[in-house]
Amino acid sequence: MDIQTRIVDTKALLTCSGRMDAVTAPRFEAASTELLGQGHTAQIADLSGLEYISSAGLRSILAAGKKLKAAGGSLAFCGLSGMVDEVFRVSGFLKLFKVHASEAEALEG
Amino acid sequence: MRLSIGARLSALTLACVTLILAMVVGYAYVVSRDTIVELARKNGTAVAQGTASRINAQFQATAKVTETVAATLEDADLSKRFLSDLGRRVLFSNPGIFGTAVAFEPQAFERGTKYFAPYSYRRNYAITSVNLGGDDYNYFTKDWYQLARELNRPVWTEPYYDDGGGDTLMITYSAPFSRRTPRGLQPAGVVTADIDLAWLQRTISSVSVSASGYVFLLSRYGAYIAHPDPALIMNETIFTHAEDLNLPSLRDLGKEMVAGRAGFVEFSDLPGVGAAYVAYQPLPDERWSLAVVLPKDELLAGANRVTRIMTGIGLAGFVLLAGVILAVSGTITRPLRILTRAAGGIAAGNLDQPMPAIAPGDEVGDLAASFTSMKEALRRHIADLTTATAARERIESELRIARDIQMSILPKIFPPFPDRAELDVYASIVPAREVGGDLYDFFFADEHRFCFLIGDVSGKGVPAAFFMAVTKTLIKAVAEREKAPGRILSKVNDELAADNDSCMFVTLFLAILDTRTGRLEFGNAGHNAPLLLRRGRPPEWIGSLEEPMAGAMPDIDYTTGALDLAPGDTLFLTTDGVGEAMNPTLELYTDDRLLETVSAHANAGAQDMLRAVSASVTDWAGGAEQSDDITMLAVRYLGPAPQ
Repeated sequence: MDIQTRIVDTKALLTCSGRMDAVTAPRFEAASTELLGQGHTAQIADLSGLEYISSAGLRSILAAGKKLKAAGGSLAFCGLSGMVDEVFRVSGFLKLFKVHASEAEALEG
Repeated sequence: MRLSIGARLSALTLACVTLILAMVVGYAYVVSRDTIVELARKNGTAVAQGTASRINAQFQATAKVTETVAATLEDADLSKRFLSDLGRRVLFSNPGIFGTAVAFEPQAFERGTKYFAPYSYRRNYAITSVNLGGDDYNYFTKDWYQLARELNRPVWTEPYYDDGGGDTLMITYSAPFSRRTPRGLQPAGVVTADIDLAWLQRTISSVSVSASGYVFLLSRYGAYIAHPDPALIMNETIFTHAEDLNLPSLRDLGKEMVAGRAGFVEFSDLPGVGAAYVAYQPLPDERWSLAVVLPKDELLAGANRVTRIMTGIGLAGFVLLAGVILAVSGTITRPLRILTRAAGGIAAGNLDQPMPAIAPGDEVGDLAASFTSMKEALRRHIADLTTATAARERIESELRIARDIQMSILPKIFPPFPDRAELDVYASIVPAREVGGDLYDFFFADEHRFCFLIGDVSGKGVPAAFFMAVTKTLIKAVAEREKAPGRILSKVNDELAADNDSCMFVTLFLAILDTRTGRLEFGNAGHNAPLLLRRGRPPEWIGSLEEPMAGAMPDIDYTTGALDLAPGDTLFLTTDGVGEAMNPTLELYTDDRLLETVSAHANAGAQDMLRAVSASVTDWAGGAEQSDDITMLAVRYLGPAPQ
């Protein structure tokens, strides 16, 4: 899995691509934690390039989300499609996290 | 084969030493030989000249005496007595003269006497006097008389045997003399003096040359006059001798000597002496020639001896040096050999092998020190590795035990309720290599309510196993008090979410079937939807209520879904390990393929259906390593129990 981070206005954007499985998932949590350490509490993960996500991936996202929430921030998603969208839906993540249709919408909201 | 360092060092050094030794000895031999040959040339020439002049001195003395006597006789008052005394006096004062005679012409001494020649000579160490001449000894025809008389001057004869006179081999100097008569000076006869060849022989024999060296004397025509071999004297010339021996070089020497030249030549093989040098020298007057033979062996004996001694000393030095080199190279290579043996022991794995004590200070000492530290480092490394391996093995063993415990809490006896005809239940779990967190369970919550569930804990390893065990226990405890699956999940979720700092969660599908009515109530905490197979209808996914997994967040109200099962309907539950099983090219098995497989076995029993799916998934994976637990649960409702 490949993660690119950039800052747009007040929000940090994490663009993930590839496979988020048991091996690579901790990197998402680490990247998010690092941004939090730099003061970026509002984070958006763009998962449009993600082709697979395992339960370890969900756990990593959940852990990152919990940390941000505790710090008074938020973690939102955009670009869900196919298998990732399915997993988010089935696992109830749609009820736990804010999900936007596109990156632009996420940056506005 | 490669020789040892010691052997190579020795061989090389000794080869050099041998070469140097050979050169030194060879050079010394050549120089001393040349010196000796040069010395021999000078010495031989000197001996030849000395001997020649000694002989010549005798000849001249003899000639002088003879001529003096001849002159005296011219006007002396001759008597037999006088002549006899004269002879004795001459012999007495000239030890080199063998005999002397005064031979008169016929009638010249006194009328009526044809032969008158008083002759004194040495015989048996005394001087004897006889009168020569007679019918059997007509001296007028002898060379010694006739030559001097006819030539009318003193002359030396050739060597001859004086048969009837001195009876020995001799040469004679003859001088004519005259008598004063009234008619003037008239030739009256010849005065002679003989030199015995045996005397010559003794003279040259007394010349000290070397042990087997000798001197020989040739006449003007090449005849042997004196020679250590008496058979040659007056019997052979040097030329006939050379012919007999087939020695052209001897003939060449003869020509040189007869021509009256002096010189020094080398012979490769002379009879009796072998290789030899010959110095030759003419006698001044008579064109005789004298040769000194110097045997090469004896000349070079000194040089040869020196060479032998030098070679001996060299050999002794060689042996000594070889010993020293071998000893030194031994002391150099012995620690190396010891080290090699010790290193071999280490290579064979014996790290406790003591390293040989080799004094530091040289290269071998440094090497030994390096070996020692290497051995210690190896021993430490191996000890560390052993400890680490043991630790890992312990952890792995603990993981295995954790896995065994985890597996042992899942129901595994089928059929689980042999006395319940309402249900056909079968389940299986194929754990991945690493400890995972899949779980399933089924039990009767009360007489008629059959509760079953399937779940998947996030993550792997011991934490997942613990979380799974806690979840299973919690569900069973809650299910006995709560009736609706949604309520059960909410309670379980609250319990799990409390103090869940590690953010672990579990997806759960939990259903309760009333076996009397077929009424199925269910709740779904983020689990993938199960398949419902109804008689005569295509399979469908049910129960995805899109609610979060349990344990992530507290205070979630899970809804309870419901549907009615007809006898023969089957619910097929899986974890995502089935749909996400991958083949070697990382393609997923997918839910679509699962649907297909299950459809093909819609009417089979729970166990057969499960096994068919399991075989299909295994076939798909084709040997690729299983990354997640594969868990399946099939529940078939057979209808209410007969009353």
